[in-house]
Amino acid sequence: MDTFVQVTLNGLTAGSTYALIALGYTLIYGVLKLLNFAHGDVFMVGSFIGFGTLQALGGTSDPVVPVWLLLILMVLAGMAGCAILGVAIERFAYRPLRDAPRIAPLISALGVSFFLANSMQLMFGADQRNYGTFALGNGELFTKGFSIGNVHVPLIRIITIVAAFALMVVLWFLVTRTRTGKAMRAVSFDREAAAMMGIDIDRVIVFTFVLGSALAGAGGVMFALRVPTAASIGFVIGLKGFTAAVIGGIGSIPGAVAGGMILGFAESFTTGYITTRWSDLAIFTVLITFMLFRPNGLLGRAGVSKV
Amino acid sequence: MGEKLLELRGVSLAFGGLKCVSELDLHVNQGEIVSVIGPNGAGKTTLFNLITGIYQPDAGEITLDGRSLLGLQPHQINQRGIARTFQTLRLFLNMSVRENVMAAAYGHSKAGVVRSMLRTPGMRREEAEIRKLAEEQLSFFGERLKGYRWDQPAYSLSYANRRRLEIARAMATRPRILLLDEPAAGMNPVETHEIAELIGRLRSEGGYTILVIEHDMHVVEGISDRVVALDHGIKIVEGTFEQVATDPRVIEAYLGTSSAVTK
Amino acid sequence: MSEPREPHDAPSGPAIGQDEWVARHGDNRSARAGALGTIEARLRTVPWWGWLILLVAAFALLPIVSPSGYVRRVAFDTTVYMLLALGLNIVVGWGGLLDLGYVAFYGVGAYAYALLDSKLFGIHLPSIVSIPLIVLIGALAGFLVGLPSRRLVGDYLAIVTLFFLQIFLTVTTNGDEILGKNITNGANGILNVDPLNFLGHDLTVEHAGVFAVSYLYVGVAIFAIVYVALHFVNVSRTGRAWRSLREDPLAAETMGMPVSMLKLMAFSFGAGVAALTGTLFASLNASTFPLTFSFPLLITIYTMVILGGQGSQFGVAIGAILISVLLELLRDPSNARVLFYAFAVLAVIAALGRSRALGAVLAGTLAFGFAAHAIAGAIQHDWVAGTTEGGLASTVSSWVIVPTTLGDWLGPVAYISLIGIGLTLTLIRGPLRYILLVPTLYLAAFVWENVLLVQPEPTRYIVLGAMLIALMVVRPNGIFGERRVEII
Repeated sequence: MDTFVQVTLNGLTAGSTYALIALGYTLIYGVLKLLNFAHGDVFMVGSFIGFGTLQALGGTSDPVVPVWLLLILMVLAGMAGCAILGVAIERFAYRPLRDAPRIAPLISALGVSFFLANSMQLMFGADQRNYGTFALGNGELFTKGFSIGNVHVPLIRIITIVAAFALMVVLWFLVTRTRTGKAMRAVSFDREAAAMMGIDIDRVIVFTFVLGSALAGAGGVMFALRVPTAASIGFVIGLKGFTAAVIGGIGSIPGAVAGGMILGFAESFTTGYITTRWSDLAIFTVLITFMLFRPNGLLGRAGVSKV
Repeated sequence: MGEKLLELRGVSLAFGGLKCVSELDLHVNQGEIVSVIGPNGAGKTTLFNLITGIYQPDAGEITLDGRSLLGLQPHQINQRGIARTFQTLRLFLNMSVRENVMAAAYGHSKAGVVRSMLRTPGMRREEAEIRKLAEEQLSFFGERLKGYRWDQPAYSLSYANRRRLEIARAMATRPRILLLDEPAAGMNPVETHEIAELIGRLRSEGGYTILVIEHDMHVVEGISDRVVALDHGIKIVEGTFEQVATDPRVIEAYLGTSSAVTK
Repeated sequence: MSEPREPHDAPSGPAIGQDEWVARHGDNRSARAGALGTIEARLRTVPWWGWLILLVAAFALLPIVSPSGYVRRVAFDTTVYMLLALGLNIVVGWGGLLDLGYVAFYGVGAYAYALLDSKLFGIHLPSIVSIPLIVLIGALAGFLVGLPSRRLVGDYLAIVTLFFLQIFLTVTTNGDEILGKNITNGANGILNVDPLNFLGHDLTVEHAGVFAVSYLYVGVAIFAIVYVALHFVNVSRTGRAWRSLREDPLAAETMGMPVSMLKLMAFSFGAGVAALTGTLFASLNASTFPLTFSFPLLITIYTMVILGGQGSQFGVAIGAILISVLLELLRDPSNARVLFYAFAVLAVIAALGRSRALGAVLAGTLAFGFAAHAIAGAIQHDWVAGTTEGGLASTVSSWVIVPTTLGDWLGPVAYISLIGIGLTLTLIRGPLRYILLVPTLYLAAFVWENVLLVQPEPTRYIVLGAMLIALMVVRPNGIFGERRVEII
């Protein structure tokens, strides 16, 4: 029973991180029909920006602001930095290729991913960076919280899970209620028709990159609050976020959240009940199963190709 | 006229509740030229997509020579003897003119990869045959696609020649029936006249049965044995050109209800 | 210089509906005038085997010209890259498919060889048996990986193959305990792999401490055979069908080509070539390790294929040679420095042409550098007292500011500013561009000397990543690519 609670909690934590990344993939895929391979590396850059903010504000041992404000500032800095990065990537690596065959921006995206990962390694080294959050406020982020049975649920986990879902709600509001959000959905439905209706496509695409990259930045900071980060994490974590988006039905926002959760639970249950070594294989099996039996994903629409 | 070659019975197709084609009956006899007309969105191209297997119908039956085509992949349907052109032109633009036509011989040639790597005599013979076939098809268009243009990439061709090349490519699959989707679209009067003449020659010299979608009424008048008018996926009239062209329902479909009333 | 030729059988007189410009298209294409145009036209008429013979002869003569074991070793590694590029060209250049698991198939080949010819299981198959077997294993692996994404639409294929690469790494790294058995020896890799053997003779890797020519010659021979075989496939019905489906899958399908099957074929052919190359690699190094077959290698091969020109076999081979030599040169600081400054000057010349601005910018940058160096030195001697290593070091260190220590933040700030300003420069027009170019060039030199040159490993990969992006944006068909018109 305790194992089950612990595993579920782990699944929920990992799942919320994957969901945040998957949302970025799905949003960008929706408007550009492009799998942004660099997205995982944007996440990684976000985690480094959080680290830099933490250091600038005095580090974990002697922060100049209260802990709650520190956390908020770190997340906000990660979101802002990644939003700028995302817009720059779109402007210089994807926009010139908008009318090229679909394989061209994908290859360009590979280049961006590789460039970002190695640039970070160049600037900050290949070593792991640990936020050292345990030192914050005498470890209250870890000691506080509540218990289910014998399982202690630390405050930091509650914060990251709640914050992730709060961001998803905000995103849902932005996409369904605001003018730009509605324009975004129109563009993802039919770009040419949307352009003819007077929607500024470039603006919508930039907005999408801001949203998607900011989510990745927030996810990166919240991830690194618990787990050490490094310049090389972007590849694997991006791959999983990207898998979550495909499983959920690429292009669908609720699908990305669902896909992220499925992946998080698949991973934590394999790790908890079988072995850590083969958790990637479990996710791959889930992916292949979906490809075979539900290629459009959990909540994806079956595309009707116009001939 | 001969036997029914291609036949559609009660074919229906809907996309998310929107009926594109409903309860359509249509047949093309051996050696016949049948034109399909109708306003934009009448379901003409959808009809071609159903016949060539790009879409599967929700209901009904499609047969070629009495054998059902349902459930077959588009390439299998092509190998049964149906070839088409596209309204929007889908050439292999970065390949040479000759290669475009040679590629279409895939379905009725056999040489496997190993034989190609070893360039066995049988493979070389087959390759020479494909080349000859392609050049024959290209020669069908006389001066237009001749000689020095064969080694140029397809993207260097003019619009009219791209349409001709699409027909040549379709012919190289050795079909029994050709489906031509608006072969005269975007052409000037001289070229349009040529296309009408060409369609006649395709039957008389090439021996093909032809189903054609066309907007230009002069072309339709000049070539058709029979004309079928579609509107909203429903067959509204069928008959000779005169019968169809003068039918009030056709005029209404093209001009709209209100204008038909005011006239 | 020459009179415009008449088309061979020009129709008499202009006619309505006659596309005159198309008729003269062939003449329009070789529009480059002068000696360069003549050379280009001549080169076009060289048959495909002419280029192959040129390549093979160059590699065969290399050991005769240079006795250096290092040169031979680099030549062998380049041959391996050329083979990998040929295989990827089938999938990407002809099939138009995005295969991100390509290096995993290379790994499958290497590991298969290591399992079939090493002490790990005590199996020692003769190469004449193991090589064909491994090609089949690789092709089968490719087939199976491609199968789940039945329609093999770009995005789904990309994710399945990329994940397959990850799974390959997981399995090989954790393969020392699969159901309690040691299969791959985990992260320690498989050691003591046999060299290739033919007719009972082992191929020698080293002769008196120098890299032996035998491996190089075997590698080049395999390259030539693969090149010829693939060329023949490309001009056969299968090759035409591959290129057709790259151009327009739907049209190919309706013209009687079984597109899904053809895609799977292209995919498993690529995998087969990669696996074949894996045997060469594993047998030469007498070992295999999981991390050889990871993302950086994938990017390296993609850059080779894109640079050389996807679709052209000769092109991707040249791309492989260029990138391989480039990566080798970047290893050594003095070579890397020469390369950097030569590239910078050539890039400025290419961007500005033979204009007055060119001289102004180059002179301005030089002057700017000496001034900045003098000012910085006058304020604080430590700022210019840093040491650099390698050739040209003394010349450069009197021009570029090289502090004894950079501190934590100066390097990242300079690097990020360089990228930011460099990208912004591509958007600016007019005189401001020339004025900004001067400090940007100096900043580039500063970043190069202080940040990039001291860390060759990430620098090489940054160069590859940047090349890949720049190529896709500026010239997606590479040097020799056959694709000119893109379909939307």
